Amino acid sequence: MLIRILKNSFLKRPKPVLLVLLSITMGAAVATAFLGIAGEVSHKMALELRSYGANILLEPTALEGGGFLREDDLPKIKTVFWKYNITGFTPYLFGVADLNAAGRRERSVVTGTWFSKELQVPGEESTEQGIKGMAPWWDLKGRWPEAADEAILGAALARRLKLDQGSEVAATVRGTVQRLKVCGVVTTGGFEEEQLFAPLVTVQQLLGQQGKVSRVLVSALTVPMDDFGRKDPSTMTKDEYEKWYCTAYVTSVAKNVEEVMSGSRAKPIWQIASAEGALLTKLNAVMLLLTLLALGASATAVSTSLMASMAERSPEIALMKAMGADRFQVSAIFLGEVLIISVVGGFVGYLIGNQLAALISHTVFNSSIASPLWLIPMAIGSAFLVACAGSIAPLRRALLIEPVRVLKG
Amino acid sequence: MSQTTIKTSGLTRSYGDICALKPIDLSVPEGEWLSVMGHSGSGKSTLMNLVGGLDRPSAGSLHVGGQDLSSLSEDGLARFRREYVGIIFQQHHLVPYLSALENVMLSQYFHSVPDEAEARHALERVGLGHRLQNRPGELSGGEQQRVCIARAIINSPKLLLGDEPTGNLDHKSTLMVMELLKELRAEERFTVVMVTHNEEVAAWGDRTIYLADGVLVREERTRP
Ligand SMILES: Nc1ncnc2c1ncn2[C@@H]1O[C@H](COP(=O)(O)OP(=O)(O)OP(=O)(O)O)[C@@H](O)[C@H]1O
Ligand SMILES: [Mg+2]
Repeated sequence: MLIRILKNSFLKRPKPVLLVLLSITMGAAVATAFLGIAGEVSHKMALELRSYGANILLEPTALEGGGFLREDDLPKIKTVFWKYNITGFTPYLFGVADLNAAGRRERSVVTGTWFSKELQVPGEESTEQGIKGMAPWWDLKGRWPEAADEAILGAALARRLKLDQGSEVAATVRGTVQRLKVCGVVTTGGFEEEQLFAPLVTVQQLLGQQGKVSRVLVSALTVPMDDFGRKDPSTMTKDEYEKWYCTAYVTSVAKNVEEVMSGSRAKPIWQIASAEGALLTKLNAVMLLLTLLALGASATAVSTSLMASMAERSPEIALMKAMGADRFQVSAIFLGEVLIISVVGGFVGYLIGNQLAALISHTVFNSSIASPLWLIPMAIGSAFLVACAGSIAPLRRALLIEPVRVLKG
Repeated sequence: MSQTTIKTSGLTRSYGDICALKPIDLSVPEGEWLSVMGHSGSGKSTLMNLVGGLDRPSAGSLHVGGQDLSSLSEDGLARFRREYVGIIFQQHHLVPYLSALENVMLSQYFHSVPDEAEARHALERVGLGHRLQNRPGELSGGEQQRVCIARAIINSPKLLLGDEPTGNLDHKSTLMVMELLKELRAEERFTVVMVTHNEEVAAWGDRTIYLADGVLVREERTRP
């Protein structure tokens, strides 16, 4: 009977029903679109943020006594549990050398590193690792070193030694001499401007430290830290630890990398990691807020149109009450309508929102996305919540209708 | 006919300063057909609504079918209405988007479970077996009023209330409706309270009471 009432009520009064349906569909569409692109936006933002520098630092456990990491271990970084979150890493080996450029001499830090090294890990696609990918803000005049005897100089050092692209410099460490061709001068705004950068192997030979690395900077996509992430892993239960390990907190990714690099200790670089986390948290909050606002607006629209149709339907409701319908029975008819409208509205809203998300993603990020299927129950669920929220006031009014006043002859 | 269906003592209903019903003592035995007359504004509908559980008294006691209506909750009154009372209004209040049959079934739905065969039978009894699927807008005034009667009796109420049920009908339709009500009462043995302006209609009852400005001024037995 309820179904018969609802069916006839829909078929015979299409206008108010369509109005409510429209409000709900709009709300569900906007919510779907926002939530659909929210993941995409966060991901894109996180990737962009990764270009502001590494967020994990790997150091030897024993710093004193010349502790080192092993270059052999480096490819393992691309095999860890969180390997797909690690967007890049760069090894560094530091030493001090006497530089001699056409008679001008200076003691300076020489750094062996990867500039853009092709790394082939079995079973994985080959990737390019090194400074070039990880420090896009470096302003390089010239080009990155390609041969073993090429180097780039920090701008301050180059100025003092009066060196430029194409000049030569000799580096001497305990009697070993390495001649280097300068192929670029780099401005970074930091301490790097005082250093000489050469390929890792070259500096290892010069320092007599074959196969060794002083530190590794790792850049990883992480999720913002929360209270759980800040807990000390050593105090966690087995389940908690598992959950922590399987969440891409900067600390758990660091732990991950530390495990494959023998003799290493991994530390999050907090100034980067926490700023990034704060930004992503805020971004997500904004998206959520916009979604809630859209749903709120749609609930208001639902409420308004239901209120309007309430005036028209009050004789009918009064009649039902006079016939002995109690509050529960009146509500059931009312909410039954709302439920049907919200399922339809939620589904149609999902379809529209899906298109909307694809359109936004295409115009803003130039990428195509497909909204995940879990958004369907989400869209219908939020449509139902919106509809229920929008029904509160009209339903209260319906329940307050006094049959005697309305049905008076 | 020994038990009383309606028993009031000092029943009063006032709207602010306006006293629509001055203290009234009334007793209606089971199975009686009571007609209520009085000029416009005399409090007939007010009395009717109180007895039907659609309104609450301002003072006095009101027992219908052994229940103290003033002690019932909102939902308790709703239950009383659907289980004990059938109401027919002057204007044929039907749900416009439901067919005649569905309008009758709606009453069954609120009462217990809809039974289409039973609802169809009720409409056949009021002579509308051929108009089951028509909506109220497609029926004449008399036909609509007969749908209301079918709806009012569908749950076998103990008390049938009519607030000028024939007020909008012509002489012929009025006679038809009254004849129908008489027949139904003979079968179902419910108590009837009917408000009317029409002496002729009032004469169908066993007894007539007259209200004036909320006071019961006179009563007259039309049948022994
Ligand atoms: N909701 C209300 N608020 C204030 N006064 C009311 C209300 N309902 C009825 N009244 C007043 O109560 C009195 C009795 O009204 P009631 O409807 O019972 O009259 P009635 O005898 O049914 O009249 P009619 O024959 O015109 O239907 C009238 O004076 C009316 O103005
Ligand atoms: Mg009246």
